[in-house]
Amino acid sequence: MLSWSSQEDGTPADVLALASGDGDAGLPHGAALMAFAEAIAGWDDDALRVARERLVADAGEAFMVDAAAVAANFEMMTRVADGTGALHAPDAMNRVVGVAAALGMALPAH
Amino acid sequence: MNTAVRDDLRAAHERSLAHVVSPGARLSGERRRRIAEVAVEAYLSADPSPPWVRRFDDPALDVAYRLGRHAGTITKDWFEQMVTDGLHPVEWVEVVGVVVAALPPVAFARAIGSPLPELASPVPGAPTAREADELAPATLNFVPVAAPADRMPSVVQALSALPDEWNNLWQLAEVQYMSDRAMDDPLWNRGTLSRAQMELVAGRLSLLRECFF
Repeated sequence: MLSWSSQEDGTPADVLALASGDGDAGLPHGAALMAFAEAIAGWDDDALRVARERLVADAGEAFMVDAAAVAANFEMMTRVADGTGALHAPDAMNRVVGVAAALGMALPAH
Repeated sequence: MNTAVRDDLRAAHERSLAHVVSPGARLSGERRRRIAEVAVEAYLSADPSPPWVRRFDDPALDVAYRLGRHAGTITKDWFEQMVTDGLHPVEWVEVVGVVVAALPPVAFARAIGSPLPELASPVPGAPTAREADELAPATLNFVPVAAPADRMPSVVQALSALPDEWNNLWQLAEVQYMSDRAMDDPLWNRGTLSRAQMELVAGRLSLLRECFF
């Protein structure tokens, strides 16, 4: 989705930056967004405050609020997937296997 | 910090928290509230139990705790163990529905630096028994789903056994992320984050949660 949407809007993203968390992935405010997502996924409230304030300074409060909403959505969807044993359909596997390997992730299997 | 939040987002979170404490298909409002409390405690804990520790000797609460904090460690074998220990597979789906209804408002409030929402008192009443007309085993999920199985993506059919849980999930997704219709438009946005920036947040958080979806 990141690769597709960024290609379509003319700012091709570096998908591999997702794995390292380094840099800005080629997107405006990318570094602040990844730092914010990482802080939300962690449990250090001071680090989260710093990441939030950086994103607000970079891009504004409404931008930060919508980024927080996306993060909350994926705190939800990852649990839906993990909690129901969700697998990719066989016809999608060719597409996702290479991406998963590049990101150093294991695909779920029953 | 008094942060302005979109009205549609605030309303969706309020609906979700009201849903949590209302009677579900198989569980009372009181039971659902307790499940949500456990999940939120696990999510926020500074000193969580390891994934393999069952703190409650109560399968529904043990599932809530593990899903709240260690979701990526849940396996089909553990699902089957909880079913053997007395948790009906459809109750498992309801526990997942409660957890994913309770956590997003908390995760969002924490992220923006606002006070965490509190759960209201449980709504009295018997479980509703509202379930899909026909359930089927799935190959794309280890939980039962609405028949026919495997005709839609696994994350879409995941909670389909219980229409009220399914509806709450997607009313949240529409305002936190985007509507189903907008998914096919790579340029769709709300005027803040571009679609690619949304996917960057989604991808980084999912990777840190060790979830490929």
